[in-house]
Formats: sequence, structure tokens, C-alpha cells
Amino acid sequence: MKNRVAVSLKVNGELFELFIPPWQLLLDCLRDDLGLTGAKRCCIEGQCGACTVLIDGMPVNACLYLAIEAQGKEILTIEGFGKNGELHPIQRAFVERGAVQCGFCTPGLVVATKALLDSTPKPSEDDVRIALSGHLCRCGCYGQITDAVLEAAQVMTQKAP
Amino acid sequence: MSYLRRLPKFEYLAPRNVTEACEYVAKYGSEAKLLAGGTDLLLIMRRRELVPRYVIGLKNVPELDFIRLNEDGSLVIGAMSTCWAIQRSPIIRQRYGFLAETAADIGSVENLHVSTIGGNLCGGLPCVDLPAPLLTLAAKVKLASTRGERIVPLETFFLGYEKTALAPDEVLSEILVPPEVLKGGGAYIKFHDRHMIDITTTGVGAYLTLASDGQTITDAKIALTTSAPVPLRVKGAETALRGRALTDKLLEEAIELAAQEALPRSSWRSNKEFRLELIRTLVKRALRQAWLRAKEATPPVSSDHWLVHPIYSQIGGMH
Amino acid sequence: MPTLEEVIKKEGYSVIGHPVPKQDAWVKVTGEAKFADDLYFPGMLYGKLLRSPHPHAKILHIDTSRAEKLAGVRQVITAKDFPGVKYGNFAHTRDYLPLAADRVRYIGEEVAAVAAVDLDTAEEALDLIEVEYEVLPAVFDSEEAMQPDAPQLYDHVANNVAAESHFEFGDVEKGFAESDHVREDTFETQPMKHAMLEPHACVGLWEVTGDVTLWSCKSSPYVVWRHLAMGLDIDPGKIRVVQTYIGGSFSGGKQEAMPMDFCAVMLSKKAGRTVKIVHNMDEVLTIGHMRHPMKLWLKTGVKKDGTLIAQHCKIVANGGAHSSIGQLSIFLPGLGLNLPYRVPNVKFDAYRTYTNNGFAGALRSHTQPQICFARESQLEMIAEELELDPVDIRLKNVRQGGEVTPSGFRLETFGITEGIEKVVSASGWREKYKKLPRGRGIGMAASGMISGARLMSHSASSAEIRVREDGTVTLMTGSTDAGQGADTVLSMIAAEVLGVRTEDVLYAMVDSNVTPLDPGTFSSRVTLWTGNAVKRAAEDARKPLEEVASKKLQVDSKDLVFRDRRVFVRNQPGKGLDLAQVVRMVQNRLGHPVVGRGSYSSGDDPIAVRGGHGNVSPAYSASAVVVEVEVDLETGLVTLVGVWAASDCGFPLNPMLVAGQAMGAFTMSMGQALYENLIRIDGKVMNASFRDYKIPLILDLPKVENVKLFDVITQDSNGPFGAKEAGQGPGDGVIGAIANAVCNATGARIKSLPISPDRVLFALQKGSA
Repeated sequence: MKNRVAVSLKVNGELFELFIPPWQLLLDCLRDDLGLTGAKRCCIEGQCGACTVLIDGMPVNACLYLAIEAQGKEILTIEGFGKNGELHPIQRAFVERGAVQCGFCTPGLVVATKALLDSTPKPSEDDVRIALSGHLCRCGCYGQITDAVLEAAQVMTQKAP
Repeated sequence: MSYLRRLPKFEYLAPRNVTEACEYVAKYGSEAKLLAGGTDLLLIMRRRELVPRYVIGLKNVPELDFIRLNEDGSLVIGAMSTCWAIQRSPIIRQRYGFLAETAADIGSVENLHVSTIGGNLCGGLPCVDLPAPLLTLAAKVKLASTRGERIVPLETFFLGYEKTALAPDEVLSEILVPPEVLKGGGAYIKFHDRHMIDITTTGVGAYLTLASDGQTITDAKIALTTSAPVPLRVKGAETALRGRALTDKLLEEAIELAAQEALPRSSWRSNKEFRLELIRTLVKRALRQAWLRAKEATPPVSSDHWLVHPIYSQIGGMH
Repeated sequence: MPTLEEVIKKEGYSVIGHPVPKQDAWVKVTGEAKFADDLYFPGMLYGKLLRSPHPHAKILHIDTSRAEKLAGVRQVITAKDFPGVKYGNFAHTRDYLPLAADRVRYIGEEVAAVAAVDLDTAEEALDLIEVEYEVLPAVFDSEEAMQPDAPQLYDHVANNVAAESHFEFGDVEKGFAESDHVREDTFETQPMKHAMLEPHACVGLWEVTGDVTLWSCKSSPYVVWRHLAMGLDIDPGKIRVVQTYIGGSFSGGKQEAMPMDFCAVMLSKKAGRTVKIVHNMDEVLTIGHMRHPMKLWLKTGVKKDGTLIAQHCKIVANGGAHSSIGQLSIFLPGLGLNLPYRVPNVKFDAYRTYTNNGFAGALRSHTQPQICFARESQLEMIAEELELDPVDIRLKNVRQGGEVTPSGFRLETFGITEGIEKVVSASGWREKYKKLPRGRGIGMAASGMISGARLMSHSASSAEIRVREDGTVTLMTGSTDAGQGADTVLSMIAAEVLGVRTEDVLYAMVDSNVTPLDPGTFSSRVTLWTGNAVKRAAEDARKPLEEVASKKLQVDSKDLVFRDRRVFVRNQPGKGLDLAQVVRMVQNRLGHPVVGRGSYSSGDDPIAVRGGHGNVSPAYSASAVVVEVEVDLETGLVTLVGVWAASDCGFPLNPMLVAGQAMGAFTMSMGQALYENLIRIDGKVMNASFRDYKIPLILDLPKVENVKLFDVITQDSNGPFGAKEAGQGPGDGVIGAIANAVCNATGARIKSLPISPDRVLFALQKGSA
């Protein structure tokens, strides 16, 4: 049995050549090997959403995905948001709407929100609630999170021509 | 203690097509495990209930990821189609709307993107949602191996708790659904403690076919989730419905028969008595909805929305 | 009472009262905030803990030799590696050891620990540790544990009574005799977990110099600091606790030192490397720290018109295998009986028992939700029997500011009447109560809450401030932000006093080598206690600035205004100086660093721990809540459709954060009301997973437009800028309100939590109205 295999991953547009165990979870690979600790280790069974990343634009729990199976795909983590020292509009809306308390669920929520707004630029409140139903927030900011997503949608659609 | 451990060590194999996948399972048999979405299997392995020496990943087998309509109008779904793809498919939304709704509601959006129909069936669990609607649609599964292919009715595929007819050297490659009927309508209604995401306490799928009079039930199929060791058809109730129109009296009769046929058990998650009450309520609701949809013969869901989640249709009444 | 805007205008606040985002939100939305598990050190080892599979057993022998031989394993430790000194919160209830020595008392108790080069190896090593146990009889039920023939958990404690509390204010027997109507009920509450999303995590380092450092997500680092010194039996001066970002705490394991913390530093000592230990979520949910499950018996006597005369409450709480903070947990619910209603005669008898379960302790609003559930449910039943409106019976009995309770609470302010009126009016109560269709219901509750208990051994807060030459400010306290907003609110207090902007204040995280001593974040104490200390520190730092500025501007220092990074003469904004300029003058010309120190304690008025009498807190918040529910009569599913909540937090220093706290407290209590329940069979936790331990999801809450929050402004002079607590009180009444709404919708009165669909459905079928 090979304890390590060569794997190449494209994360936030950057290509990484790695030598990792085939049973390594994408989440552990991002955090332990690439130092991308924005995706959080929480339930590790796809119940909390804190480790959400986008794989080819789709929101996925990185704790239920083998790193070896993410080869050849575009992986976007929270670290890939915001450019040139500017927050992404989703991030800004989360800040301004009070949608962040302890912040442990926040990166996963921001990433999942991007997936929603990419497919549904003008979501209804119900869209938001369903899209984020797999994300636990123990601080109980769900109302503020909803506000933030709706505000981000508005800002982003206004910006777009 | 330690309910979930680290993943056990394994060798990862990545077949490029079904033939290669079949060759791997033929070679390694019960030492190998096919990995579809992984939402169940990875957790099973982390609980050490299974420790396969080889894991055969199917995520990169394009041959298994398709949804198409045959010339005869029957539907074929590749086993690696995700629940997301199923609920997005215009074909499924239009013709088998309740199957799209079921797929859209199996878990979080993140889960939809990885859970596959093949994985949902091959786990052999009575609590997963896709078997019930597929049973009411008289679906079949294609099992491939180096020995050839065989087609098995889904009804005979489930042999017991976590037991299916899939042989150690076989790969479930396709799900086959007969052509849509003219006056048919289906519904899948489930119950869980919170308003989304939870494991299904009890679920009921129903499909009714009406005669041209729009009243007489010519065929009825009802299947239950988490109500027996396997996803269960309740045939007594189905028989009672055939040839009759759905009156309140008939509904009561069907509910009683279904409750008699069901074999729910008590566990720390829920007790038998409560599950039986739910079966009664959900059979009623599923039959009523299937009846209305069969009469209207309209697709229950809009075709352009990002998600055809059944909650959208309840929202008016709920909040 | 004044509105927020009126107060801001009248007081001339430039920072206080304004809704500004949480200071650390920026670093959290980018994923850059480093939580404990996000720390990596060169050469760091990974630790894992071996836990007991038995609820009660003697440890006969532990053989670690096979584990030690596994490639990649660096160290294996057991109780023998520790000095054998017990640690804990109160001297007479200390019963924790870093690792179990001769006996385990619940499934999940820590027995050994390993450090290895990676987690796979560490976990494999656990399998190779052989522990020989002699299984002992176990007891799980709190009342059974008190029987004389029950298995005994500790030799030094008779009948497993870990702690008890008895007190009486007034004369309840006389009170019941004078009552027109007396009612008795029993209620039962379930074990509930903190379920913060960030699992407990720490990194330990024991240097050859003997200096010990623990990096961890601790909400009360100084409590941990003391515990570590106790359990390691070393001088506290050798220990440094460094706080990381905290991914939710709600008290519990982030409040105290845990076995993982001791093991991380001890493994580091033996291995000569840093060692990280992170709990898996199943460990978090299995091990101790949870809200006390309680059986509550409540007897209440009232006059015909609903006037409360006497209340007697008996509680048996299931404490689990250790004491934790249980001594306090069994005292506080009795005090809670004194608010928010005027009950002249109160009696309280409570027992906390040891059982072979994970231990219970403090969880957001420590024991108040349980007592409020019982009291608010029963009050509703009494109102029904006396044919009184639930609103009227509450308004008749609620206390007012200025009152002193028989228990000795001095309420300077208590805005409950206004709170009730606001939620009643906004919810349309009068149009809805008993007028909604079957299946739809409305319910309410009222509650009061302390702003920091004056009970712990060190309950004073302190703060230190440095104003830097650019006019920015460094603020250090010993309190932490666990997400509730202390970083922002304390910064705002400093900013208001020093005339800078909130973002000019750098709020430091706790480092016990640097930051001032403080008990930490619990008991709803930080805004009032630490806030007062910060205000004083800022005023202290301002003094030299005032001196220099008043000389320079040739006005009396009383006529100076500090605002918008400037110091100017009152009513003459043009006549002034830049703050940075003044700082430089003080620093560079006078050679005087601009620093300030402040501390706050609420005096030494006695509190009788035995008799319960005393003013237990400097101030008391008040909350009122109305909820509307829809009950599916065929499945028992309860859906929350509307929430109207009002709270008197004195003055909302930051309304955005106050609203976040109110909804956070609401949501947590709603979880306890409807979903959450740690299911244990013979001591084994069955649902140690977020799959089955069900905390509220976004869809379980009503839509945004159906949630309305109100602030009642009373400006309590005991708090900084009039502020009282805001983060716990709003959750206290929620369970009662939901229970009342479900009863209003269906006629089913649920007295056992959670109000699960099966309970509702079967209660409906039994017609238990």
C-alpha cells in the first residue's frame, strides 16, 4: 500500500504539486499541507458547512471529499475571495450587517453564498434560507446572515451592467 | 468511544470507464469498495464498519454521469448523477417532477453536489429518500460486471438492511425508469424533526395513474422510507386503490392497509408508535398530492428555478 | 422612557449607541482569523486522548508499551505523569484530575494521551494502549443516585449529593395558607450541549526553562491559568495562557482547563516539542460540560386576582461525574425565582447529584432557562385557572426599578413593564390570544437576569490603556470576545472617553503574561464589569491629556471635549488640538507615557452563600418575549412563525450587537425548547453528532420580517454609559413562551423538554389539555 501519492491541485488559481496519503481529506490537505485554514474543521461529517469550498463552482463540504478526487478541478476557498486588499461584496455585507459573531461558520457561509449568487443573482429570502440550510451558526445570526446575503446580491447586481 | 475516526488507509484506484471499474471489482472483490459521492461511505469507513483495502473512485467516470431519454420515452440515469444534476435536469423536472423534488431535498445544497443516485441505492439503507419514489416509478437498475450486464427491478434489489443484490464483482451503472404515463402523478412526502436536512424519520412516495375519465385509479404504487429494514412497497394499499376513485373513505382504507404492512421499529431516534402515526399522515398527504398532480397532469415544479425544493410549495402555508 | 436617539443627543455620544460592525468581523470574513486549530508550529506533534468505554470502573492497570513502540509515536502519558493534585472551581468541590488515576466515572473520561508525528499515528497508538478495568455498578438517574443503596461515585460524598442549596425568604407556609389558589407541577429539562462550532483545541509548550505556554480558545483564560497551576502543581508564574480567536464558547470547556490542556503541555514537556490537541466533534458532544438536566417541582400560591404570594421550588439536577461549577449551578436557579416577579415568600431546596454521565456545568444563562420554563409554564396554567389574561397576570406581578427583593437584590432599574407592553402591542397579542385557528398559537414569557454575579472568588475586572503617539489606543483587559462583541463594545467605551473612533482602538487578546487579571467572560459580566474598568482606565489615561490641553488652550479641563480625534473647548470646536498632538506633548515634553489603569468591583456587600441573601449583581436586565407558532396537528411539528422580543439592557452601547445577542440567546433557547437533547442510554451518548444532536438551522427561524426586537432604555447608573447585560437574559423566557404558545395552539401542555413532535402529537391524542 502506498502511503503517499503525487497529487496536483489547483486552488484559488494556483497549482500545487503535493505528495499526500490517498485517504487524505481535501479539508486536511487545504489546511495542513497548503496552510489555507479558512475552511474550518468542525463536524467532519457534512453537517455544519464550516468547511465549504467551491469545486468547479459548486459548493461542497471539503470534509467529505478526498483530496485525490479534486485533481483537475478548480478549487476556490475563502482565501481566494477579495482582491487587492478589497473585500468581496459578500464579505463586506457580512461585516456590515452584523452577520459575524464568533466567525467560525463565516468562511463557509461566504463561500456558499457565492455559489448561490453565481447561479441566482437575485435570490428571494427563501432561496437564501434553503441555500444556507446546511450551515450551522450556533451564535444564532441567521437573520443577520440572511440580510447580508440579500444585501450582497443587491450590491452585486447593481454593479453588474 | 470515538464515533468517527480518521479515514483508514487504503489504495485508491481511479477507473476511467465502466469496463475498468468492472475489472477492478472483479479483481479485488470484497477487498474493494466503490466510492461514489462519499457522503455515506466515508463516514462508514471512519466508523470502521468497513475497512476496504482498495477504494475505487467513480467521480471521474464520465460514462456514469448522464441523464437521457430513450426513444421509447423511458428515462436512463447514470449511477454517478448527483442529486443536484437530477433536480436540475429539465427532463426529470418535467416528467418526473417529484423525483426532482426528492433529489433536491435529500440534504444540504453542499450534499446535493456530491451525493449520487447510485450511492443512494447501493448503501441499502431504508432511511435514504430516493428509493421510495423510484420504487413507485417501477424503476430498474442495470448491474454491470466483466460477466456481462443484468437488469434487476429495484424492488428486488433491496434484500435487507444494508444488503442489496449487487454482487461483489458488479457495478451499478444505470437506473432505468419506464416512460411517463399520460395521467400519472407522483409525490414524495417526508418528515423530520427540523425543517430541513435531517435524517428522514418516515417518508412516503406515491404514484397514481388515472384512467382517461380522470377519476379511476388504474395503477397505484406506494413506497415507504424508514418503515422497514428495506425501502418498502405497501401492496395491499396499492391493490385497494386500483379501479377506484380517491374518496376520503378509500384514503382511510389505504392508510390502514399501509400502516398494517409497514414494519417500523423503535430506536433512540424515534419510536415505532410515532413512526406509525407519521406513516398514516404521510400516506394520506402523499396520495392526495399524487392524486391532484395526476388529475392536473402538470409538472409540479417550475423548470427554470435553481432548485426545485418542495419547501417552496409549502412556504405560502408555512410562514 | 427615552429613545436611543434622544439619549445619544442629550449625552452627546459620538461613539456610544451607534450600530457599528464587530471589530474583528473583517479578519473573520476573510478566513484569516486564527482559531486554535489554525496554529501550526515547526515540528509540532499531534495529540489524542484515550477515553473510558465504561461508565464506572476501577483502573487496575495501564500498559502503554505497545503504543510507545509504534513508529511515529513520541510520548504516551497517564495519570502517573501528573502530580495527582485535584483541580476545580471551588476548594471544597475540586474533583478533576488531568487524567483519571484509579477510577473512571463516565464514558468518555480521559485515561491516557499520546503525541505522535501525525493524527493517523496518534489515533492508531490509542488502539495499542491496554487498560485493564474492573467494571463497577453505575447510576445514571439523578434521583436514583440519591437512594442509599445506589452505587457511590466518590468516597468523600454521601448519597452522591455533590452540592445542595436551601434557602427561604419570607415564610412560604404562611404564604400558601394566605393564598386563594395553590398549584403544584413538576417539569423536566434535558441535557443540552454548548455545541459551539469550534471544537475545543489547544497547543501546549513546556520549555526546558520550566515555562509553560498554552495557546487555546479559552473564554476565561485566567481561570484556565489557575486550574493549570493547580493540576500541574507548579507556580502560576511559570504558566502563560494565550488566547486565540474563539469559535463560540457559551461557557463550558472553554471556561475551564480541560484534560486536553494538561495533556498538551505534559506531552510537550516529555517530547520537547509543541503539541496540538483538537477534539473531534463527537468528543465535544460526548464529554462533560453541558446544561444541567433538571427535575423541577414548583408550588405557587396566588390570590384570586393573580397576585403571587408564595413560591416553593425543589430541584434535583443531574450533575454527572464531576463538580465543574455545579456548586453555583444549584444556587443560581433559586436566586432566579426572585425575578422578574414580586414574590414575597420564596423557598428553594435543590440537590445536584453525581451520576455516571458526562458532567454538567454552566451554559449560556446558567440554569435560568430551566427555572423560567417551569415558572412561565405554571404561571400560564394559573392564569387559565383564574381566568386571567397571561399579560395581565404578568403586569400585575412584575417588579419595578427601585425595588429591593426579599433576597436582597437592589434593582436600580428594571424595565420589564415597558418590555411586556412593547411585545404585546407589536405581536398583536390582544387580537391573537385565543382567537387564532386551532394549530396556531401565541405565547409569552418574562424574565430577569443578573449582569455578572458577585460570587466568584475574584470578581473584579481591570483594564489598561495606552494611547500611542498617533492617537490610536491599545486596550488590554482580561476578558475575551467569544463572538459576543466584547472586543467592539469595550473599544467603543474607550473611544468615547478618549474622543477617538472605535477603529482607532486595538483590543488585545488575553495573554496572561501581559494582560491584566480578570475572571473572564461568563455570567453576563463583561459589558458592565469590564466595561466599567475600561471606562475608568480611559478616564485615567485622559487625565494627563486634559492637563496639558487645558494649559495649552487656557481653559479649565472641565470645559474640554474629547471627540473625533480632537480635544477642543466646549461649544467652540474650532478652538482645539489634534489628539495625537496632545499625546506627543505629554509623552515627549513631559516624558510621561499616556497610560491608564482602571478596575471595577462591585463592593464588598456580603452575600450569604448559605442563606442566599444579598445583592448578587450590580444590575439586573429584564426581558419579555412573545412567540407565535404553527403546530402541525397530524405530525406534532412546531414551526415558529413570529418572534417579538424586548430587553432592557440599560442602554444599548451598540444596537447592532445587542440585536445579535438577543437573537443569539433566543435561537439557543429555541433549540433547547424544540430540538436539542443529548440522548444517553446507560451512560452512552447515542447522538454525539450534529446529524442527531440537532441545533436550530436557518429554516427553523421565522423569516426576517417576522422577527422584531426592541430595546428598553433605562440607563442604569451601575453600568458604563448606563449599560447592563444583553447576551443571556433575552433567552431566559423563550422556552416557556414556546411551551405556552404550543399549548395555546393545541391545548397540549408539555412539561418535559424538548417539545418534540412525538410528545406534542401524543399529548394531543391524549387530550392532555
